[in-house]
Amino acid sequence: MPRSLASFGPFHVDWISWAPTVGNGILKTLEFTFASFVGAVLAGLLLALMRESPVAPLRWLARIYTEIFKNLPLLTEIFLVYFGLASLGVRLSVFEAGCLSLIVFYAAYLSEIFRGGLQSIAAGQREAAHALGLSEREVLTRVVVPQAVRLVLPATTTMLVDMLKSTSLLITISAAELMTVGQLIASTSFRAMEVYLVIGIIYFAMCYPLSMASLWLERRLKAGTPLSPRRRRLIGDVRLAMAGTPGRIA
Amino acid sequence: MSAGQAEPGTVTGRRAAPEDTAVVRVEKLVKCFGSNRVLDGIDLDIAKGEVVSLMGQSGGGKTTLLRCINLLEEPTEGVVEVGGEVVSKDGESLHRARRVQLRQRVGMVFQSFNLFQHLTAAENVALPLLRVGKVERAEAVRRAVDLLGRVGLADKALELPSRLSGGQQQRVAIARALALRPVAMLFDEPTSALDPESSAEVLAVMRELSTEGITMLVSTHEVGFALDASDRIVFINRGKVVQAGPPREVVFGSASERAREFFAGFVRYGKNAN
Repeated sequence: MPRSLASFGPFHVDWISWAPTVGNGILKTLEFTFASFVGAVLAGLLLALMRESPVAPLRWLARIYTEIFKNLPLLTEIFLVYFGLASLGVRLSVFEAGCLSLIVFYAAYLSEIFRGGLQSIAAGQREAAHALGLSEREVLTRVVVPQAVRLVLPATTTMLVDMLKSTSLLITISAAELMTVGQLIASTSFRAMEVYLVIGIIYFAMCYPLSMASLWLERRLKAGTPLSPRRRRLIGDVRLAMAGTPGRIA
Repeated sequence: MSAGQAEPGTVTGRRAAPEDTAVVRVEKLVKCFGSNRVLDGIDLDIAKGEVVSLMGQSGGGKTTLLRCINLLEEPTEGVVEVGGEVVSKDGESLHRARRVQLRQRVGMVFQSFNLFQHLTAAENVALPLLRVGKVERAEAVRRAVDLLGRVGLADKALELPSRLSGGQQQRVAIARALALRPVAMLFDEPTSALDPESSAEVLAVMRELSTEGITMLVSTHEVGFALDASDRIVFINRGKVVQAGPPREVVFGSASERAREFFAGFVRYGKNAN
């Protein structure tokens, strides 16, 4: 039976003609991921700062938010935002609803990560900055946040990769992202194994470089490589000044 | 000058009475943590260029006294003046902007170094110059490398703190505290976390500073340093000054029984060594 034998071999779907559709799906997935990640990082940072606020109601509010949205399944949140809000008359586009549910969900997780980062900056670092006469804002922007960023970077990029994968749940609201495209191809070609294998490989090909890039960034930060142009210039100046000053032994 | 004359918020740089030449002036200072009276009426004047060693048992209030001077702790009662300016009086301390200004004029070195871990040695020293001193980048860098040279670490300018030994980190911390040319330097047990060799490096730098006319208040357990590098030892026990005077007098001929007990080990060792 040559036909059934052939159906076990690879690539029987006409991927060439599907390529533009798949391309659009990838683009949509990346759009959802990028927009939601930026939103979730900002919201998570705000929540983390609220959790550390001296104003008690702000702390409670952030706490309640975090506990609620951390403990609801993402799919439930997607349905609440898209179908639930619509039933109350708030009609969001698929893109808005998709991003909003991802933001609401991941902001809760990211706020926990950020709070941990802020808390693990030793009190001595803040004290030394205060003792030097840095203002409250400079203590935060020059000393606490740069160190916290280095600490939370690995966990945050893990969340980014996780979020990229979670956009596949948006298939339930037909978000036209990669997974939705995959389902469309599978239902017209009847080759579920091949289609979802290829879709899986595409997800992997997007996530793996992200994970690798975050490891690379982590190593660079640990080695003290300056990332901002301002620091690079400063360090360049130090090099010049060192060349002009022979090391003196005390 | 009586404490009543000065109000919090008095303008800096005032030189009214000759007694005002004290760079740091502490009067009847009390600090309570809850019901615990850590400082119990401390009086202390430090003249310009004077090097004072604060000694006494751990937990006796030395660190708290230093931290009350640059307002890392809020004094509960009493008066603290720095450079003629009242920074705290009767539990009222300077606020925000003026507190920041005070700290710019007082350098502090911590037991645990507290170098900014994400910045190189040179950046640690340059940070206050750039952010607080508003010095131009090239000039800040020049001064930072210069200061590192003064503590013998010009060649380590581009190292991260994690790659420096404890003694080297503390010397960078000293350079950082000196960057804004403070009127007084506070050292909070600067060698307590160091091995003897590293301690010696740090103490050598501090000895050099003491000869350069820098006003220093040093909380320390290093009797040797206190004896030969300081002008005066102030012995603190349970939040009170129990003995103060020339180093040899306090170490070898203290009238206070508590101070005699404290120095007994050193004195006995010193006699054996001779």
